[in-house]
Amino acid sequence: MTAGPLDGALGASAAAPDASVPGVTCPSCGEPVAAADSFCESCGTELTPPADSAGPPGYVAQCPVCSVDPSATPGAISAEGYCESCGRKVPTGRDHAELDLGWLAGVTDRGLGHPRNEDAMALATAETPAGPVAVAVVCDGVSTSPRPDEASLAGAQAAVRMLLTSVRRGDDPEEASLAAVRQAHLALTSLGSPDLAPSATYVSATISGDAVTVCWLGDSRAYWLAAESGGIRLTTDDSLAEEMVARGELTEAEAMASPQAHVVTRWLGADVTIPQPHVVRFEPRGPGVVLICSDGLWNYRPDAAGLAKLALPAALTDPLGAARTLLTFALEAGGMDNITVVLAPFPLSRPAT
Amino acid sequence: MTESGFTVEVDQNQYLPEGGRDISAVVTVTSAADAAGLSHGAPGGGAPADGAPASAAEIIIIDCSGSMEYPHTKIVEARAATSAAVDVVRDGVGFAVVAGTSTAWPVFPPDGSMAIANAASRAAAKQAVAGLRANGGTAIGQWLDLARRIFAAYPARLRHAILLTDGKNQHETPDQLVAAIGQCEGVFSCDCRGVGTDWEVSELRTISTALLGTVDIVPDPSGLAADFATLMENAMGKQVADVALRVWTPQHAVVRFVKQVAPAVDDLTGRRTPSGPQSGDYPTGAWGPGESRDYHVGIEVNPAGVGQEMLAARVSLVAGSPSAPEILGQGLVRAIWTDDEALSTKINSRVAHYTGQAELAEAIQDGLEARKQGDEETATAKLGRAVALAHQSGNEDTARLLAKVVDVVDVETGTVRLKKKVDDVDAMALDTRSTKTVRVKKDHA
Repeated sequence: MTAGPLDGALGASAAAPDASVPGVTCPSCGEPVAAADSFCESCGTELTPPADSAGPPGYVAQCPVCSVDPSATPGAISAEGYCESCGRKVPTGRDHAELDLGWLAGVTDRGLGHPRNEDAMALATAETPAGPVAVAVVCDGVSTSPRPDEASLAGAQAAVRMLLTSVRRGDDPEEASLAAVRQAHLALTSLGSPDLAPSATYVSATISGDAVTVCWLGDSRAYWLAAESGGIRLTTDDSLAEEMVARGELTEAEAMASPQAHVVTRWLGADVTIPQPHVVRFEPRGPGVVLICSDGLWNYRPDAAGLAKLALPAALTDPLGAARTLLTFALEAGGMDNITVVLAPFPLSRPAT
Repeated sequence: MTESGFTVEVDQNQYLPEGGRDISAVVTVTSAADAAGLSHGAPGGGAPADGAPASAAEIIIIDCSGSMEYPHTKIVEARAATSAAVDVVRDGVGFAVVAGTSTAWPVFPPDGSMAIANAASRAAAKQAVAGLRANGGTAIGQWLDLARRIFAAYPARLRHAILLTDGKNQHETPDQLVAAIGQCEGVFSCDCRGVGTDWEVSELRTISTALLGTVDIVPDPSGLAADFATLMENAMGKQVADVALRVWTPQHAVVRFVKQVAPAVDDLTGRRTPSGPQSGDYPTGAWGPGESRDYHVGIEVNPAGVGQEMLAARVSLVAGSPSAPEILGQGLVRAIWTDDEALSTKINSRVAHYTGQAELAEAIQDGLEARKQGDEETATAKLGRAVALAHQSGNEDTARLLAKVVDVVDVETGTVRLKKKVDDVDAMALDTRSTKTVRVKKDHA
């Protein structure tokens, strides 16, 4: 999807926020809509709904085995995504997904070592009284928990919905981030019980005109990538490895090689009573790109400068293309885990169409 | 808890190595603790509408063979126990009392029908029971058959019997008993009790297993009344009748076994009734509020490639008629093929625990049988293995019962000596209770 309905709307909205813009119409009913409207005044359709990696719209699952076996009766696909004939898990459309909202874009991929993609992402943009805001959430399902793929998607969807609602209201980004992570936690809690708790890591970024607000639990990361300085990592992992590095017991290289590197110490799920997220507000001094990603990417290039070299300068103007570049890099480096990459150029810039 | 009042949870290691075929899981079924939470009608009470059968029916089957006179307290206590059970039957529930010798006859109501419980019918039943005398043989198939006919004429939703005997099934052939049991399957459930030590554990276990009930020894007749009252109270608590585990499997898959493993081991594998091209139903009987049972399910699947995932089984809890089944809950058993040995070799602690508990029951039964046959070597080996298993799994009740039959030399290795003198009561108690299991907590994710 592109930012079609919003194209050229920013200036008009600044001049006359309530006026309809000629040529901008509701995609559902065709009535004219105001630039800053989140919902169509005529039919109520949400004009800039969040996008997520649940799978392409209209995706029809088909059993990869029975559909090509002439002797098999092609079975129905169960609600849980299994072939009712041979039992095979049917690809959900989540194995590889790309989202392009123009202002920001992301890719997620199953990788080469896992049977399914247990990462999920969700993105949204909003026109607010203070200007455009972009929000993004990446969740990485905890493989040792039950149904981690459902956990990550439920978390990302619930969080982006809350973030979008909050920023449209003009809430403080830090407050909005905490409200969103609570919603994600509620969504995961309802998926299980303390004994059987689908779990996921969490990272969100809220990008407004003057700052980037990052909120996280676990080892999914956010980076600021800039051409000159190389950038910095905005998050610290909630992992055994990071804790040992912090205590000076291991070097970062040793920690990366340790089998405990990926044991997370904080996560979202029904076995967590009160989640303890971190929130950081970052004010960039110049142009750059916000990256949020799962460990499937940073495993192979943990430092900000190295990631900046791979992503820049393309990411400044073509976030989707740069996200694909980072994905390809991770796949070629081994692709042992699911990989999710979201890039948002700063300051938010509407792409040329 | 779902709307139906039941939850179904699956505990397993879902990872298989390349080419692996065998997947197994522990399925825990739990009913709502609150009686109102179970969606299936009123509890087994409440006065029925005019002419309509009650929702529940009970029959007490009491042994009146001649041996019940020796000692005389047996028939005295059996009469008292039957009266105690009658006292617990709730108003509005259908009930009857049957007496058995080499034949069977209705004690109450004397016309072979079902009475509706109220103060007057209970008093009349107890008066009829007080007149029972012990005189005759033992043909348990005949007793079951009469109970079946009384139940069949009175279509209550929940149908349960208590059967008491003190002797072996001597006055009919084993085939006749097996045939009678087969006729009763699905018609009613039956808890069996043996009083004294002259009865055959395996005989009553065959009945209780087929009829989804319990079996136990009541060594002293004076214990009968309390035991019967407890059995009847449990029966009165049941609310959802004829519940089955429905197991769906992929094409070309084989169900290796379906066993109840808690609160006691009960192999249901052979009890499958097909319910669709790829599914079969296994009976679990009736359920009351606050019950929790574990089932161990083993499936053999055609292997898929590394990285592939398959639904190895969908286990549903179903109730209602075969034509209109209602799904009360559902759990999924998954198989994922991986080349990560750390994943595929991980042992699920509950699956391992119940594998051990099933082996424990088998070792005890085989060991006692060998002991009876005079094969001391096998008996020592099997009962020794049982001692080790009971110890490892923390099954203290079974360990205590074993210690009355063998002298334990080393509990860890299961080194034992057969006791020279063993009370029949102790050997039979160990046998009847060999299937009782202890539970372990779920593996944490």
